[in-house]
Amino acid sequence: MEQQLKVDFENYVKTSKLSSKNIELKRVNFNHFLEKGFPNKRDENWKFSDLNHIISKNIKKLSFYNDFLKSEQVDESIFINNLEHNKLVFVNGKLEKKEFNHEENNKVEIIEDFNLLNEKININSLTSLNNAFTDKHYNLVVKKNYTLKKPLVIYNITNEDVTSKNLNLRFNILLEENSSLKIIDFLDDKSKNNFLNTYYKYEIKKNSILKNYKIDRKFNSNIKYFYNNINQETNSLSEIFILSLGSYFIKNEINCSLNGKYASAFINGIISLKNFQHHEIKTNINHLAESTKSYQLIKSVLDNESKAVFQGKIFADSKAQKTDGYQLSKAILLSNNTEFNAKPELEIYADDVKCSHGSASGNLNENSIFYLMTRGLNYQEAKNLLINGFLLDVIEKITDSEIKKIIKNIMGFKE
Amino acid sequence: MLKIKNLKANINKKLILDGFNLEIKPGEIHAIMGPNGSGKSTLSNILSGKKGYEISGQITFENQNLFDLEVEERAHKGIFLAFQYPLEIPGVNTNIFLKTSVNAIRKAKGETELDAIEFLKLVKKKANELKFDQEKLSRQLNVGFSGGEKKKNEILQMSILDPKLCILDETDSGLDIDALKIVANGVNALRKKNNAFLIITHYQRLLNYIKPDFVHVLMNGKLIKSGGPGLALELEKKGYENLN
Ligand SMILES: Nc1ncnc2c1ncn2[C@@H]1O[C@H](COP(=O)(O)OP(=O)(O)O)[C@@H](O)[C@H]1O
Ligand SMILES: [Mg+2]
Repeated sequence: MEQQLKVDFENYVKTSKLSSKNIELKRVNFNHFLEKGFPNKRDENWKFSDLNHIISKNIKKLSFYNDFLKSEQVDESIFINNLEHNKLVFVNGKLEKKEFNHEENNKVEIIEDFNLLNEKININSLTSLNNAFTDKHYNLVVKKNYTLKKPLVIYNITNEDVTSKNLNLRFNILLEENSSLKIIDFLDDKSKNNFLNTYYKYEIKKNSILKNYKIDRKFNSNIKYFYNNINQETNSLSEIFILSLGSYFIKNEINCSLNGKYASAFINGIISLKNFQHHEIKTNINHLAESTKSYQLIKSVLDNESKAVFQGKIFADSKAQKTDGYQLSKAILLSNNTEFNAKPELEIYADDVKCSHGSASGNLNENSIFYLMTRGLNYQEAKNLLINGFLLDVIEKITDSEIKKIIKNIMGFKE
Repeated sequence: MLKIKNLKANINKKLILDGFNLEIKPGEIHAIMGPNGSGKSTLSNILSGKKGYEISGQITFENQNLFDLEVEERAHKGIFLAFQYPLEIPGVNTNIFLKTSVNAIRKAKGETELDAIEFLKLVKKKANELKFDQEKLSRQLNVGFSGGEKKKNEILQMSILDPKLCILDETDSGLDIDALKIVANGVNALRKKNNAFLIITHYQRLLNYIKPDFVHVLMNGKLIKSGGPGLALELEKKGYENLN
């Protein structure tokens, strides 16, 4: 498949309008990718999720997609109801619609940035692949002292026009000082067997608040990698919630650096898989300043040959006194052909810290099911009630009540 | 209503019930007393349909073979077990659970489901009767409830579901005397011509407040003696060993 990507890369470079410097940078990135290839299980980070194997098993003749001339119809039926929101709509990797109807002028903007020169390489082979094939970055900026009145939903839609393609997208999200933004990344796939590689970079300046809800709910055969790189200044806050349900494979990797005093990060997630799926959440929280805080709660429910992975690392630098780091992952295995792997890690160089981690997995309690059935619920209803009970405390962590409601709805919770 | 004939039950190759017979008619209250480990909870679990037992013998409920019915179908038909050890169910709101339960049973009976307002009205009434703190109902099911509150919650569920056969498995243990009276009042209020009670206990105490028609003694896997309310008092005086 790498042969095909090479051909695609040369074609792409030839037809693009990028400067020669930009092209040269792309070539460096592309060569880095070629040298490393898709990550496989020999790579520590990927030991539970052999992406090379997963891609070659499920995608025949992977090729790079760059048919960005064609305009795609936006299927508005998938838009979130009962929530006033701003929109960015991407179809097959191309921005088809932007709407900031709820905001003041010039306070929030999205810029298509064609200058890629100050890009760092060598994070991993997939970010290099992303750098090689994205012709522009989508830069979203929230201006100083501005709080968006409504959430921004970034719809990321794929349709039947793409199969066996690699789509790359790149976002740079900047929250200037004292600003606040809620983003819902809402994925919807009608396409099959693609590899979607998305790279988010977040800069959260002093006193700013980012809330990000990543929702992948529709069953589909795509393979997705999300790399999230978050940098936080003093007194900033990030809240990330991952709802990982639909795709065949997802790896959500979050690298979050708490660079300023009192910065805090909350990462909560649900992986709920029913059908031969494989999802991973990998976090890397770097406490690099005093009195920083991180909190992570990840719960998985696995059925029918599914597999979930949580790798979570808390790092506390010697400067990061009074670090408060907490991490817990739990899984329920609904059938015995499922697999849950957890790798919690603490790396602490400061002496005055409060850090803990834990992980547990098990089956649903048959006695609890019996108890509920004696009250008239059938087996499935009893199971569902217990599963929802298991997941409820993760959902309760969502601090936006409107968005919490939407997510409860998606999960089929009763009020 | 309920006929048990020559019931034998094993769990993990251990014989627990060995030729158990009992018949309960509508309107009756039966008490079963027996020492710890004599198989009282096993009997109530089997009546409710718990899996894991090796069973022989016959049980019919309203002339239907009980073994043909799934756990929830038995509940739909009106069998209710107040558990000796009610389970804690984290994350499940008590009110939502109660509503789901009452409506599952109403639906199975072909009745219309209760809407939120009707349901709350019903719960409020029943909770008041049992002096059950309503605030508890908005919490997770039995989580953080005291032993007594858990037991009361069982009786609350029973009075909301209004079953035909109420099995109370040591509901009295863990209750103080005031709570015991309230629970007994709740049970007495449910008495009707067409329902029946099977009260399992190993103290005579509860039977001062709920008057049984029959008292049975369970030992060595079978009922070794049956009689009227006087048998409970005799047992209290003499102990199980000296019964003849
Ligand atoms: N899962 C089990 N495996 C083996 N023995 C059991 C199991 N459950 C109960 N027993 C045994 O069965 C007997 C009856 O238990 P139980 O019905 O709970 O008695 P009671 O309710 O009268 O105190 C006891 O000796 C108990 O140890
Ligand atoms: Mg018992």
